Amino acid sequence: MESRGKGSFMQDMHQHYNYLWVALSYVVAVLGSYTALQFALGIRLARTPRRRWIAVAGAGAAMGGGAIWAMHFIAMLACSIGAQATYDVMLTGISALLAIVVCSLALAMVGDGAFRWSHGLGAGTLMGLGIAGTHYLGMSAMLMSARVSYDIRIVALSVVTAVLASTVALWLAFNLRGRLQVLGSALVLGAAVCGMHYIGMGAATFTERGTLPAGFDQGVGGDHLGRVIFAIVVALLVLALGLSIVRQYRRAVLSI
Amino acid sequence: MAELEVRVISERREGLLVELGRVVSEHDHVLVRQRLAPDTQGASLTLVLRGPDERRAALERALGTHPRVVRLELAPREAAMPPDEVVPVAAELPQAVSAPPKTLGYGAASAADVVQVEHMLPSLAKDYPRIFPWLINLEYAVAAEAREASLHLAGRRAGAWVFRRDFLFGARLALGDALRRIALPALRELVLVELHGHQLHVRGCPLCQPGGLSGGRFFCGFVEGLLADALAGGVPRASEVSCHCHGEPECVFKVGS
Repeated sequence: MESRGKGSFMQDMHQHYNYLWVALSYVVAVLGSYTALQFALGIRLARTPRRRWIAVAGAGAAMGGGAIWAMHFIAMLACSIGAQATYDVMLTGISALLAIVVCSLALAMVGDGAFRWSHGLGAGTLMGLGIAGTHYLGMSAMLMSARVSYDIRIVALSVVTAVLASTVALWLAFNLRGRLQVLGSALVLGAAVCGMHYIGMGAATFTERGTLPAGFDQGVGGDHLGRVIFAIVVALLVLALGLSIVRQYRRAVLSI
Repeated sequence: MAELEVRVISERREGLLVELGRVVSEHDHVLVRQRLAPDTQGASLTLVLRGPDERRAALERALGTHPRVVRLELAPREAAMPPDEVVPVAAELPQAVSAPPKTLGYGAASAADVVQVEHMLPSLAKDYPRIFPWLINLEYAVAAEAREASLHLAGRRAGAWVFRRDFLFGARLALGDALRRIALPALRELVLVELHGHQLHVRGCPLCQPGGLSGGRFFCGFVEGLLADALAGGVPRASEVSCHCHGEPECVFKVGS
C-alpha cells in the first residue's frame, strides 16, 4: 500500500458515484447476508456431517460470494473516476475465494452450539478481515491508467468498522429470536460490508499516470463482471426465497 | 373491566365449552369460571367472562347467532366477588370429587392420561394460541389423579412444539437470556406475563381461578418443553411458587436449570 502524496505532480482523479448503484450495492450486501445467516443458523441443527458442511459452505458462499464480493464489484461499477478499468482475472478470482473461505470459517466457528464471546469475537474479526481483504485485493485487481494510494488511518478505520459491525451482526443473529433476528442482523452485516467498502474508498486517491498497465486488455471488463454479478444476485434471491419457503412449509406441517 | 355472566342452553353438551370458548377468545374475553349442567333441552352452560366493554356487544352477537346456542342470557356481574360466593366448576364435576390436595400443582403423583393428551394436542395446535378451552376440556376429560400430570405433559409437548416452530434457529442461550428471548415472548401469546429475574409472573391465568384447582402444571411443562433444547447448559426445571387459585394476585413460576 502506498501512502498518499506519492506522484503528487500528477493530477488526482475524483470519484463520482451513481447513487442508484450505491443503493443496489447495499441491497445486495443485505440479501447476501440474509441468505448466509439463513444457512448459518441451520449449522447447529444439521444431523449429519455432510449436512453441516453444506450449511457451512452455503453460508460462506452467500456471504463471501454474494454479500461481500458481488457487493464490492457493484460498488465499483457505481464509482466513476474518469478512467476505463478492467480487472485482473486471477486476483479477482482469489478475492472471491478469500471471501468465501474466510466467511465459511467465521460462520462455522460461531454457528455451532452456544455463542461464546471468544468465538464471537474471533468470528467477527475473521469476517471483518475477510471483508477488508476482499476489498483491498479487489482494488489491487484493478487495471487502469491510474495509480491508487491510500490514507493508512482511514484504511485502519475501515478495517475496524468491518470487524466491529461483523461482531455485532453475528451476536444479533445467534442470540436474538423473533422476526428481526435474521433481517435485523442482515441489515447490520450489510452495513458492515458497505461501511467498510465506502470508508475504504474514502481512503483511496486515484492519480492519473497516462499509460495503461500491462494485462489491461486481458482483464475482465465491467460488462462481463456485470453479468456475473447479475447471476450471483439471481442465485441469492432464489436461495433466500427457497430457504424461506422450505422453512415456512416445515413450520406449517410441524406436528405437535 | 366488569365481569359478565352468560347462560347458554344447547341441545348437546359435547364440545360446547370448546366451541363457545373459542368465540369468547376471539372477542378478547377470558373465561373466569364455567359450569356445565344437564338441562331439559340438553345442556346448560354458565360462563363468567371478563373482557373489554367495547367488545361486549360483538361477543353478544356472536354468541347469540352461534349454531349451538338455543337460548342465551347475559347479565353483568361485579368484578371482585368474595371467594365464598365462587362456585368452582371443578368441584361440581365427577372427576374432581377426589381432587388432589392444593399444593401449588404438585399434589398428583399419578401418570398422565397420554391417550387423552394425544387426542387433544392436534386441536390445541390448530387453535394455538387460543388453547385454554382445550386445556379446560382436558381437565374434565381425565381422571382427577391424572389431571396435573396430564396438564404437565400437554404443556411440555406444546412448549417443545412452539420452540421448534418459532425459536429453533440460533445459538443455545444462558437461562436468563432464554427466559427473556424465548419463554417471555412465547408466553405472551397466551397470557399476561412478566419476568422478574428467573421468575415468571402470570396474571389472570384462565387455568387457575380463585377457589378452583391450579393449572400451573401446564405452564411448568410449557416452559420446560420450550427451553429443553434452548439452554447452553443444564435441563430446565420449572415450579410454581404461588398460584392465583389460592388467592394470590398472580401465579409465579420459578425456573432453574
